[in-house]
Parts: sequence; C-alpha cells; structure tokens
Amino acid sequence: MKKYYLPLLLMLFSQDIDAVAYCSLRDPVALIKQLYPDKTNQLSIVKMVDDNIRAQVQVALPRNDLHFSELGRHTLYIIMQGKHSLGYVHVRSEQSDWGLVEVAWAIAKDLTIANFAFQRCRSPNKKVAEQQQFKDIFIGKNFQELKKLLHSDGVTAKNAVLKRAQPAPELANVMLRCSLKTLLLTEILWGDELKKY
Amino acid sequence: MKYLLLICLVTSPLLSLADFNHNLRWSVDASARLNHNEAINNSSRIYALGLDSHKVFTSDSGDRGYAVAQLYYTKLSNQIPVPFLFDSKDDGDFIIREAHLNFTDTPSWLPHIRVGHFTMPFGLEESIDTNGRLLDYYHGKNLGTKLDWGLGLNKVTDRLEYNVSYTLGGKDKAKSINGSYAFTGRIGSLSHHDFIIGFSLYRAEIDGINRKRLAIDFQFYWQTWGFLAELALGEDDKQLTQWQQEKYALFELNKTALYQQLKVYSQVILTDKTYQKSIDKLINIGLSYQITAKLEFSLSARFQLNSPDNNNKQELARAQIRYRY
Repeated sequence: MKKYYLPLLLMLFSQDIDAVAYCSLRDPVALIKQLYPDKTNQLSIVKMVDDNIRAQVQVALPRNDLHFSELGRHTLYIIMQGKHSLGYVHVRSEQSDWGLVEVAWAIAKDLTIANFAFQRCRSPNKKVAEQQQFKDIFIGKNFQELKKLLHSDGVTAKNAVLKRAQPAPELANVMLRCSLKTLLLTEILWGDELKKY
Repeated sequence: MKYLLLICLVTSPLLSLADFNHNLRWSVDASARLNHNEAINNSSRIYALGLDSHKVFTSDSGDRGYAVAQLYYTKLSNQIPVPFLFDSKDDGDFIIREAHLNFTDTPSWLPHIRVGHFTMPFGLEESIDTNGRLLDYYHGKNLGTKLDWGLGLNKVTDRLEYNVSYTLGGKDKAKSINGSYAFTGRIGSLSHHDFIIGFSLYRAEIDGINRKRLAIDFQFYWQTWGFLAELALGEDDKQLTQWQQEKYALFELNKTALYQQLKVYSQVILTDKTYQKSIDKLINIGLSYQITAKLEFSLSARFQLNSPDNNNKQELARAQIRYRY
C-alpha cells in the first residue's frame, strides 16, 4: 500500500487542474515571433486560473464565463529582446459558432492591445479578422476602453462596432469578449509581476 | 525510477535559478480502463494512477527550457496479450511515460535539444498526443515502440517545424539492447494551421527487428470537423528474416461539439504486407466526453472487415474513465 501514499497525499493538497496531459503543451513560438519579430526569447510566468478568478471575471463582465479549458494553470509570456521586455503575449480561448477560437494577444506594457494572431480560428471570415481594419477595432485600447464597446447585453458589441467589423460581425463579438477577458486576467493574475518588466 | 533520479540530478543546477514551485504544473492522473476482446473472448481491466508534471526553467533573459515527467503505477487485471512492460496478465508496475528535458535557450539558428524518454517524432502522433487516451495512431505497433530514451533536436520556425531524434531502442530501458537503435524524424508545416502536412522517416532496429518507414501525414480542419490521414511505405524483417514490404494508410474523420466537451471520431486503417493474403482493413470508432474539467469518459470499438490468415478477426471494445486532479 505504501506505493499509493504519495499520489494520495498529493491529491489531498492539489488544487489546480488541467484537462490535458502536460506532454501535449506547446508554446506558441511561431505566433510570438509573428507578433514580435525582433524578440530574442520569451519569459514564461505560469499562474493558476481557479474558481475565485472565474468569479471575479463574472463580476467584472456580467453574463460572461470562462470555458472549462480556460481554468487551470496558464502561461503569460514576457517577450524579451536581450534583457529588455518588448511586451507580453497571452493566449486565450473563446467559444464561437465554429468551435473554440484561440487568440494570441500581444499586449503592450501599458496593458493595451498591441496586436493579435489566431492560433485557431475556423470561422469562414478568419481572413477578414486578420486585416488591419478589423484589428484596429481593438489595437491601442485598454480594458475600460474595450468595455465601452460592449452592448448593454454584456456579450455582444455595439452596433457601430459591428458595422465597422463587416462582413465578420460575429467574429467581432467573439474577439471583443476574448480581449476583455484576456486583459482582465492579465491584470488580476500577472499585474504585480509585470511591473518588474 | 533511476532514470527519473538521473533527470532530477541533471536539472538540479537549473533549479537553483528559481524556486521549484515557480512555473510548475502538476496533476494526479487516475484512470480505469475496461477492455473486451471478442476475438479471444477475454475481458480485462487496466488501472493507472500517476503524477503528470511540467516545469519551465527561466532566467532573467527568458526561458531556458522545460521538463516533462510522468510516472504512473499501472495495474493489469487479466490483460491478454500481456504488454511488454509487464510479466503477467495480472502484473502491476511503475511506468515512466514521458520524462524529458527540452533545452530551448539556444541561438536562433540552432535547434532546441531534447534528452530523455519521449514520444518518437513520427506522423500524426507528433502533433496529437494520445498518451493515456483510447484514441490511438498506432505508433507502438508501427514503429516497435511509442516512446524511447535518447536525444532529439527540434524547432518551430516561422514557416515549418521539425523534430528528429536518435534513441537507443531499449524502449523503457535507457540503453541499447543487442545493437538496438532508432532514428526518427518529422518535418511539417506549422501545427496551429487548419491545413497541416508533414513528412516522416524512420530507421530502427528494436527487439531484433529492422524497420524502415517513410510517411506523409495530413490534417485538415473545417469548423468543428477534422480530416486526418497518415500514409506510409515501409519494410521490416519480422517474417523469416527477410524484408517484408508494407503499405499503410490511416484515415480519420472527427467532429468536436461546439462547447468542446464531446469529441467523436472514426478511423479506417488499411495495411498491406507482402506475405499477407489480404489487405487488413480495420475500423475504429470512438468518443470522449469531458464531463467536468477533471473527469473524462471515453469509449472505443475496433473491428476488422477482412478475414485474416489466422482467422482471428480483431474485435475490441473499450471504455475508460479518467480523473485528473
């Protein structure tokens, strides 16, 4: 029975959970290079997204929730050029009509959106969302500025945004929710440590 | 176990750079699998309880590398045929799955360097992990082993990714046995795209059997559908110490529900060997349902369409419950 003690003890003290085996974890290095062509390395900081954090997201963004794959331990990447940081990359998923959309968000040091690239997006309008005109809806905005783009229903974008996002308004809704959660989680979980970079 | 200790010793200089808990992921992973093999009218169970861990090593200028360590106590109950890692159908033992270090802090023109026990970089398995799942891309059957101890070079560039390895062919043992070795490699397009193509090669001598294999693999995703294929040409000297040619094709169609909880798949596997009278035609169907973030239930069934030379058609049904905490 002794051989069962260690796992059982670990089970008692463990709080976090990730649904996928860790051998399948992959850093989004190609996307990081695309977002920051001058980077020399990235510095990972792993933090825990738990039920307490999930509740904070629900308070700050009513009618929004985190997908179960968004719980557990997640990585924020500080993008390095030598010993200097260029900004951050945070990958987040959001549900859509085409399955999960996974976005690598480039975040400037003032916690505004600097750019984004899709790790996974199976919307037929993906190419529209990769155009600068669509990206400009989000780029340069912080959490409060993005929240102002949200309709009173809390989950869709205002009509002016949807008009600007044509012909991909559904994707604009998805990206707005995703960007808000990304910036909010970045600040809640990593905010203190990012002051050092 | 001694190999895990060896890895701990190798990593200890790196650990001084950061607190051990920093950037550490770990989970207890428990599963119970029920199998019914209709061909031999046998029911069996496989239980696994283990620790799955992942640690990123960093310095002030960035990540230096990461380690993956997976140690499982695995217990068989009436399992026939007995897997090579065990001595009897009711045996139990500690099994090391993945246990490797990948040094990533290399100059941009140099590859990353992996050392330890890792999955052979070949075909679809390179980008889709099947460890501990019912989903299978038949790595072990096709290559002679799924994991092996050795050294690898890998890199993701702007346009492609590659992974090559030289391993010792000892499978669970970190040594070459009677001259065993395996050279494995895959180069492919970026694995986060909706269309992925890869080319793999393999040359090995494991368990006294020589194997050569060339393969091309595809993945195409459209909305919540996925179409995957692996086509291989190869030969081995398993039969009569002569080279036996083999043509192999795996096709998979899968569908993921919008919320990602339910995944269903079907596979067709065709194997044509020189000394075989008919082409083996296997069908696999399966599903996995993520009940909560911690709990997953999966089912799979395999059956054979042709009548093999020994007249034992493969008919296997499996169910698994897996809990990660």
